[in-house]
Amino acid sequence: MSVGMIVLAIASVLVLFGVGQRVLDKMHLTDRAALILMGIIFFGGLLPDIVIGQVSINIGGALAPVAVCIYLLIRADTKKEVLRALLGSVMTAAAVFFLGRWMPEEPEKIVIDPNYVYGIAGGVIAYLLGRSRRGAFVCGVLGVLLADIAVAVMNRMNGVHQMLYLGSAGAMDVVVLSGFLAVLLAELVGEVTERISRHGSEEKAPAVYSSVKGEKQK
Amino acid sequence: MKKLIFLCVLFCLALQPALAEEALEGKTYTIVDSQGKAITHLCGAPDVGDEYIAGDNGHYRITSVDHTTLQARAESLGAYVLPDVSWLNQNAQPVTAQRRAVAMYCTHSDESYTPTDGKSSDEQRGGIYDVAEEFKAALEEQGITVYYSDETHHPHDAGAYRRSRATAARLVEEGVDAVMDIHRDGIEDPASYEGTVDGEEMTKVRLLVGRSNQNAEANKAFAAQIKAVADEMYPGLIKDIYIGKGTYNQDLLPQAVLLEFGTYTNDKEDVLSSTGHMAEVMNKTLYGGVSGAAPVQKEEKENTGAWTGIIWLVVAVAAGVAIYAFVSTGSGKGAMQQMKNTFRELGGSVTGKKKK
Repeated sequence: MSVGMIVLAIASVLVLFGVGQRVLDKMHLTDRAALILMGIIFFGGLLPDIVIGQVSINIGGALAPVAVCIYLLIRADTKKEVLRALLGSVMTAAAVFFLGRWMPEEPEKIVIDPNYVYGIAGGVIAYLLGRSRRGAFVCGVLGVLLADIAVAVMNRMNGVHQMLYLGSAGAMDVVVLSGFLAVLLAELVGEVTERISRHGSEEKAPAVYSSVKGEKQK
Repeated sequence: MKKLIFLCVLFCLALQPALAEEALEGKTYTIVDSQGKAITHLCGAPDVGDEYIAGDNGHYRITSVDHTTLQARAESLGAYVLPDVSWLNQNAQPVTAQRRAVAMYCTHSDESYTPTDGKSSDEQRGGIYDVAEEFKAALEEQGITVYYSDETHHPHDAGAYRRSRATAARLVEEGVDAVMDIHRDGIEDPASYEGTVDGEEMTKVRLLVGRSNQNAEANKAFAAQIKAVADEMYPGLIKDIYIGKGTYNQDLLPQAVLLEFGTYTNDKEDVLSSTGHMAEVMNKTLYGGVSGAAPVQKEEKENTGAWTGIIWLVVAVAAGVAIYAFVSTGSGKGAMQQMKNTFRELGGSVTGKKKK
């Protein structure tokens, strides 16, 4: 491999690492904890999978993101928030499953890469349900995992016996990418709508707005 | 909340007919140039912006797609200049110390060849695995170590790329020089892939690369290098190169390519005949230039694609951060400050400094 290609591969990993750290930083975690977690996702992804029968589970690509989801659900302020995140995950799983079935499958026909769409679905669903970036992460991660499990069940019912890999691409797995992408999307949509609503209230009641100007929505 | 659940159920129900339609769909689109002359055929609709490098190196970009007539119009971008492979004719030194390893897998595990396999799709294990295994054996004959996965990724849908990503990532971890995803095409006309190469009847190979990832330029340069070598060694073996909108998991390695060995109506024996020639081409492409100026030229070309990818990556990240910063602060000055804070916090967490 040429020098340029090695640099490109390293740059790709660094960008993912940086983006991941910034995303996890927003998940009730400190900077340092987010960094350590990214380390676990990256290096855990390189460790051998845990194999239980026909299921192969990766530490960095599945266990670490799921652990973050559990932590977020435990730290949720209300039961309603937990329910929203779980409902959002099931809805994202349905979306991932059907998008996988419905989107063009032949390489020449693909309009947008399906692996990018799942995170977008998770982000949109989580935002519609609860305007929560933490909910978006849970939806992105659990949605893809549940969809993979649903496909495995469907395969088994059709007499197709193949291994179920959960997060086996490690840090590069769709589980991780969808979680990050969902958060980034929810964050961006949230900022845009917040700005629009702020702008609207400034026009309607400038005196009131000026007193809260600069405050950031939680 | 109730509205949302209702919409979700409606969405799922609405997809049912779409799924059925998709399963039956095997529409072949014709790509025509500005004079209306057919350039090639594709299984399914191409997309505006897709690029195509024909067997004669004519370079085209899709400008419009008509779903009624199943025609896509393409503008000519002139002749695509393939890399210089004059080093193929020089006396190369045999490779001894260098570790040579590639990886191979099949995303669409059901793909089969109707004349020999009896059906176009086998939901247990498609005939495509026979092609992959023959290709693997041919590569091993060239002295290349092949990390091959016979994992299946059923069913044959867009989700197959999500499932095969795990396979591809595990193979890439072996430190391979290239990763290949083996497919067969879905167009009906067998003649579009039939040909005579080196006096022998065999099917041609289409190369496919994606353009939605940071490795796009490097992948394209790799495909062009393969075609250049093949055109010199076995003219006609490489049918063409299609540059589509997907990623096909090629973001995992700069030297990744999707190969379509014939179409489902071809005789599998003709497809198998092409694997030996293809293995020689891959060997020369990856390891052939080992003396004289060849490696330098080859590396320069590879580096060009890689540096373009790096620039693309940096620009994409910078644009993303800038857009987010601008949206969240609403002013250029505020955005600059937020970007500074972001990078300072990120740097602080790496070096262990606490956030102030």
